[in-house]
Amino acid sequence: MFNAEKFIEKTISTLQKEIKGKSLIAFSGGVDSTVCATLVKKAIDNHLIAVHVNTGYMRKNEPEQVKKMMEDLSLNYRFIDASKEYYLALKGVEDPEKKRKIIGETFIKIFEKVAREENIEYLVQGTIAPDWIESGGGLRDTIKSHHNVGGLPKKMKLKLVEPLHDLYKDEVRKVARSMQLDVSERQPFPGPGLAIRIIGEATPERAALVREACDIVEKEIEKASDQGIMERPWQYFAVLIPIRTVGVHGDKRAYGNTIAIRAVQSVDAMTCQYSTIPHDVLDVISTKITNTLGENINRIVYDVTNKPPGTVEWE
Amino acid sequence: MVRIYVIDNGGQWTHREWRTLRDLEVETTIVPNTTLFSDLEKDNVQGLVLSGGAPRIGLNSTLGNCAEYLDKADFPILGICAGHQFMARHFGGRVQPSELPEFGKVELTICTEDDPLFKGVSKKSIVWESHNDEVTVLPNDFTKLAESDNCKIQAMRYNKKPFYGLQFHPEVEHTQFGDKIFKNFIQLCEE
Repeated sequence: MFNAEKFIEKTISTLQKEIKGKSLIAFSGGVDSTVCATLVKKAIDNHLIAVHVNTGYMRKNEPEQVKKMMEDLSLNYRFIDASKEYYLALKGVEDPEKKRKIIGETFIKIFEKVAREENIEYLVQGTIAPDWIESGGGLRDTIKSHHNVGGLPKKMKLKLVEPLHDLYKDEVRKVARSMQLDVSERQPFPGPGLAIRIIGEATPERAALVREACDIVEKEIEKASDQGIMERPWQYFAVLIPIRTVGVHGDKRAYGNTIAIRAVQSVDAMTCQYSTIPHDVLDVISTKITNTLGENINRIVYDVTNKPPGTVEWE
Repeated sequence: MVRIYVIDNGGQWTHREWRTLRDLEVETTIVPNTTLFSDLEKDNVQGLVLSGGAPRIGLNSTLGNCAEYLDKADFPILGICAGHQFMARHFGGRVQPSELPEFGKVELTICTEDDPLFKGVSKKSIVWESHNDEVTVLPNDFTKLAESDNCKIQAMRYNKKPFYGLQFHPEVEHTQFGDKIFKNFIQLCEE
C-alpha cells in the first residue's frame, strides 16, 4: 500500500539532491501544487518561489483565496494577473485541444519570464499520473492535453521537476493529510480553469456566467452534503453550453443558453461514476442559476455520464 | 515478495495495473512491450500482465514481443483488453470490431464455478469496460469463463498454461471485484 510518510521522506531527500539552484513552482492552490510546494520548501527552503497566475478563468474569489493560502504557507510568492493576456490568446478559439495548448503555452511563457528575472533554473509542477497518461505520447493515445504536459515547449530552458509524477489524487491527498495541509480535501480544479467549462469560445462574458453557475452548484452541493442529504461528490461544477433554447420569462419569450450540472464520484479520476444528486437539490440549483443569470440562461440539464465513456470535464 | 511485471501496450490504465499490483505488495515495474523475454527471465519474473492498448491495436497489431512471451512463458500471464484480444489471436481465435462496443459500467456473468481466477467473485458483478473490439471466436484449448449481454467472451483461460484473458478492466476502482481478481492472479503466480 502507498505509504505517505515514506513517500515524504524519500521525496525530500531526492529533491535535495536533484535541485541545485533557485526553483519556481506553478502554484494553482489545488491539492497537487500545494503538496508539491510544501515538499520542495521542506527540501530547499527559500530557494523556492511560488507563482500563481490568475488566468481570468478562476472561480469566484479564488485568486484572493490562493493569495491567502500562499501567505499561510509562508511561501515566497509572486501573484500575476494575466487575465487580459489569456482572453486575448483565446479570442476566437473554439477547439478544446487548441484551448488547452494555448493555455499551457501561456503559462510557460509567464513562468519563463519570471525565471529570467529571478535567475531561476528549475520549474516544479504538481503533475500527477492521470495528467501525463491522458496527454498521450509514445504508444498512448491523447485523450486531452493537460496544461502542464501538453503545453510544454520541446526545448525548455527550465529543468522540470515533478515529484508527484506517479501518484494519483487519492495518494496526493494522503500526503497532504500527513503534512496537515488544509487543502487536502479540496475538489480538483483543472489548470485551464473555467475556459474548458465553456463549450466554444471562452469569452470573458461567458466566463462570468459559468463562474456564477459554478459557484451556485458548489455552494448548494456543499450545503446538501453537509446536511447529510447526499454524499459529497469528488468533483462538482457547471458547464456552459452555448445552445440556445426557448423559454418564457414573465410573459415574455426568452432565448438563452444552457447550463449543465456535472458531479462525479471517483478515487483516482481514471474512472468515474456520475453522482446521484437528489431532485430537491437539483431543483434549488436550477432555480438559483436561472434566476441569477436571467436572460442569459433559461435551461438547466443534468449530466448522467460515467467515465468512460465521458471524461469529468467536458473538454 | 512475488515479482509481476506490467507489459505496456499503451493503454490508459497501464499505470493503474501497476498501482493495483503495488498496493497488493507485489514487486512490480512497467516495461515496454519491446522488452526481450530473456530480460524478463533474467529478472526472475513470476508473472506478467499484458496491458490494454492504444485504439484498435488488439484487432491487428503485433503488440511488440507479446507473442514471444506467450510462446515461451510457463508462468501465469493475464491479458487485459487489447492484451486479451492479442492472446486470442495468437492462439488461433478471432477478434472483430464489436457490434455494440462497451464503455463504462457493465454487468458481468461468470459461466464457470471453479476457476481460481474468479474465486470469491459473485456470479453477477459490476465491471468497467472500454473496448471497440472483442474476441468473437475462442481459440482451441481455451475455456470461456465469463460474458456480458453485449460481449460473449469477457474472460477466457488457456487449458495448457496458466494464461488468462479479460476483456473488462479489473484494475480500475469501479470494477467491483477487481482487487479480488488481482489477488487470485497473484496467488497463481506464487504457486
